[in-house]
Amino acid sequence: MIKLFFTIATRYLLKNKLYSFINIFGLAIGVASFILIMLYVDYERSYDKFEGSQHVYRVYMDYLEGNSFVPGDAQTYNLSGPTLKREFPGVLDYVRFYYIEKATFVLGDRIFEQPMGSMADASYFNVFGYPLLKGNHKTALSEPNTIVLSQTLAKKLFGDQNPMQKTVTVVLDGDEVVLTVTGLMKDIPKNVHFRNNYLISYATENTWDFFDEAQTKLNFNMNNYYTYLKIDENANIASLKDKIINSDFDEDEEERHNIEPIEDIHLYSDKPYEVSVNGSATRIKFLSAIAFIILILSWLNYINLSTTKSLERAKETGIRKVVGAHRWQLVLQSIMESTLLNTIAIMVGIIASFMLLPIYNSLTENKLEINLSSFTSLFPIFGFIFLGMFLAGLYPAFLLGDYKATKALKGEVRTSSKGVLIRKGLIVTQFLATIILIIGTMVVTKQIHFLQNQPIGAELNQIVALKGEIVTNKSDSLLSNDYKLLADELKDLPFVENITFAQTYPGDSFDNLGSSRGITLPNGVQNLSTVYYVYDVQPEYFELLDIPFVVGNTFLPNDSGDSNQIAVNETFVKEMGFNSPEELIGRKLKFWGNNEWVVTGVFKDYHHFGLKDKVLPLLVKHQRDVNNLLVKLDPTATSTAGFTTAIDQIQNKWNQIFTKSTFNYAFLDKKFEAHYKEDKTFGKAFQVFTVLAILIASLGLFGLSSYTCVQRRKEIGIRKVNGASITQILKLLNIDFIKWVGLAFIVAVPIAWYVMNKWLEGFAYKTAMSWWIFAFAGISALAVAILTVSWQSFQAAITNPVDALKDQ
Amino acid sequence: MLLELKNIFKWVNSGGQRVFLLKDINLKVDEGDFISIMGPSGSGKSTLLNVMGMLDGFNEGEYNFLEQSVHTLKEKKRATLYKEYIGFVFQSYHLLDELTVQENLEMPLLYKKFKGSERKAMVADMLDRFNIVGKKDLFPAQLSGGQQQLVGVARALIANPKLILADEPTGNLNSNQSEEIMQLFQQLNKEGVTIIQVTHSEKNAQYGKRIIQLLDGRMV
Repeated sequence: MIKLFFTIATRYLLKNKLYSFINIFGLAIGVASFILIMLYVDYERSYDKFEGSQHVYRVYMDYLEGNSFVPGDAQTYNLSGPTLKREFPGVLDYVRFYYIEKATFVLGDRIFEQPMGSMADASYFNVFGYPLLKGNHKTALSEPNTIVLSQTLAKKLFGDQNPMQKTVTVVLDGDEVVLTVTGLMKDIPKNVHFRNNYLISYATENTWDFFDEAQTKLNFNMNNYYTYLKIDENANIASLKDKIINSDFDEDEEERHNIEPIEDIHLYSDKPYEVSVNGSATRIKFLSAIAFIILILSWLNYINLSTTKSLERAKETGIRKVVGAHRWQLVLQSIMESTLLNTIAIMVGIIASFMLLPIYNSLTENKLEINLSSFTSLFPIFGFIFLGMFLAGLYPAFLLGDYKATKALKGEVRTSSKGVLIRKGLIVTQFLATIILIIGTMVVTKQIHFLQNQPIGAELNQIVALKGEIVTNKSDSLLSNDYKLLADELKDLPFVENITFAQTYPGDSFDNLGSSRGITLPNGVQNLSTVYYVYDVQPEYFELLDIPFVVGNTFLPNDSGDSNQIAVNETFVKEMGFNSPEELIGRKLKFWGNNEWVVTGVFKDYHHFGLKDKVLPLLVKHQRDVNNLLVKLDPTATSTAGFTTAIDQIQNKWNQIFTKSTFNYAFLDKKFEAHYKEDKTFGKAFQVFTVLAILIASLGLFGLSSYTCVQRRKEIGIRKVNGASITQILKLLNIDFIKWVGLAFIVAVPIAWYVMNKWLEGFAYKTAMSWWIFAFAGISALAVAILTVSWQSFQAAITNPVDALKDQ
Repeated sequence: MLLELKNIFKWVNSGGQRVFLLKDINLKVDEGDFISIMGPSGSGKSTLLNVMGMLDGFNEGEYNFLEQSVHTLKEKKRATLYKEYIGFVFQSYHLLDELTVQENLEMPLLYKKFKGSERKAMVADMLDRFNIVGKKDLFPAQLSGGQQQLVGVARALIANPKLILADEPTGNLNSNQSEEIMQLFQQLNKEGVTIIQVTHSEKNAQYGKRIIQLLDGRMV
């Protein structure tokens, strides 16, 4: 009997090609979208999982802002770790990292820049469960001047030779150190927030000129260290956290230590001075929601289409009943069919998701892959999909079993008004979801557009930042002379418009930027609580970047090029409690000990940290010797020759002056934009899945409208015979659907408004949710609905009523 | 003359063979006629009725209705023609289940651009004429078959057609109800309405002034 069912099911699917196609297609889209999104979600949630990771916590600093503490800094003091271990028995061990964003490796004649590495305590291998391939994990980092390399870096340095006990020179800001390789570790996986390519022993701080005594001395003054704790598995985390929060080892009321699980960092932590760009839990939540919505939409769709179809099969059901089929046999057969159809759909969906993965990756700039482990992690997802589809198959099956045989034979099957209501409910739900998704997509797109067009407060186009590590024995002042020589030479290039030196620039975020607290203001007030940020530039900086002054002007150094001048932004003026910027001009600020600076100007606020964050108080100091160049290119000159040749020529000049060096450059506008790259990606993913959801919803509507047309065949016929025109019939059939879409719209608007408001809260600067977004979403949903429905109702309207009204 | 059919042929292709539904039909109907069409099942009675009602086309021949040649008319023109002059009555009444008697009667007027007040008057008039005022707010399911058909006839008449086409109007009714409907038809015919009915019943056929016998699509 099963075989017979199977044969009938197959034949039926083959016979109704359009129906089968729509059904399989709709389900496959749902399945494929769900798998793709879940792959990404799974990946984002897989961060920082290693053996024992659930007992590893990161220490960070909270700062007092107003009356409450807010996360202020992902970095801590070099005393934080040792103190916490000493004071709290629950803390088994700690490891401190001094993060080196980019260091230069020198090996013989070879010189190259290597991003991402750290100075780390010997306890690293005790806290982090990443295995060591060569070397002793207890002693690898215990001696000064030792380094542990990742496999890739070791291969880059030494090829296939055994790297152990070999030496390599590392240079940081001109300070060299010779290190012996004492260990080889596996490459840190991609889904780790702190990805070290090498680890230098912490003790090397004392032998490396890069670190001065103020830095290396154990203190609670300079928080430049990431600290991770290994906590006893039996310890009560809540009470430990509480104790840490309430401790005050650094005797500073304005801040406190706090801890967070390492597994939460990637998605939930987004603090200043994070070691890498974090993911976003909100984004993950949104995407998961979209995944489920799409999958559910495709199920609703399936239910809709198959109930519709079962109506057309009422006669078959009638015959079966008359010849003696039991109700359960009919149900079983229907389930057989749905299982067959769903299995095909799931297979198509899985295959499609595999094939679409590269496109999805390039579109969303992810590097997801499906391998065996991700496949097994998808098993619960597959299980979920199968279960859902089975349930989706049940409803139409039972509906079918309900038909009365005699009526079914006469073709007089009408489902109860309850059944109609269920189907209409399904459609409202589908459109509800669709409209919410359309509104969501539009808000995300509008916000990204808004960010991209928001005035930054500085002109970043055509500006290149040059940076490199110079290996030389020259003193700092001689090296600075070389830089000035380079600047002069670059000025002579036809396409260089202007040039200046600056430690950092807008969009560089917290990199190369110092943060401080504690300042004495001109009016004698000491402010100890407000965090401010400091960097060094030369006088032309403001002109080059087009940052206007509200009052005052840029620095005016003396003949030897020195000055103790400083400029501040408007936010600094406000946060320090001054009423007008004039109050600061020509007066002195005292911070960092007894150092004093004279304020020459207050410049307009610009967005240093990208547009997701507020403007923070900035101090821009004059400094004679800054070694990072900003070059403004002439747009007309470069547009003909192109940027690449311009950069090539600049690099030529660079290499002439710095013979042994690395060179790298960054366009400021690109760097600034990178701040919302993730949001852009999110926006794109959102768009794609919204389109898919619309597609699925319209398939569902297609199903329901064909159902309605079948149901109302007789009515249409009667009306036509009594003189109704095609337009009148179309109106009659479409008005219902328009009502349902309208209802969905009314429910969708407040939900979408609420949800997207939540999303926008993540941005300091946000676009308005204009009324036209909602109007557009409503109208486009309506347009899709009318088009889909009209396709069917037009067919119904032009049918000859004779066919509908035949008495037998 | 109301309508004239000349050498009408209608066929369908089934299994590679041409199956004739109507074969060489010639028929003249004058105003005031009352024609009964008879014949066994499948002889083409309903097809002929549908052709005359312009609901169905034909493959060959000529059809003139009130001096207009229907076979050359555009679909839209044809629709206006039958909307204005023809009313239909069906065996299974074909009332809309969701509408009350009153609304069912009003429905055809909605499609003929009558004003609201006019429609009301016409419906009231019809309810009166058929003695169903008391039932105006009932739904079809609440009426007996005879009453339903009464409403069906009233609906067919409401826009003052010249011709009523009735496809087995008494097929679902008992003899008493049949009798009533037939007497109603006779009455209407006296008032000047042309009626063409398809029927199986010899007795009902006798109400007609003329009887046409069909066999295998051919008039005999």
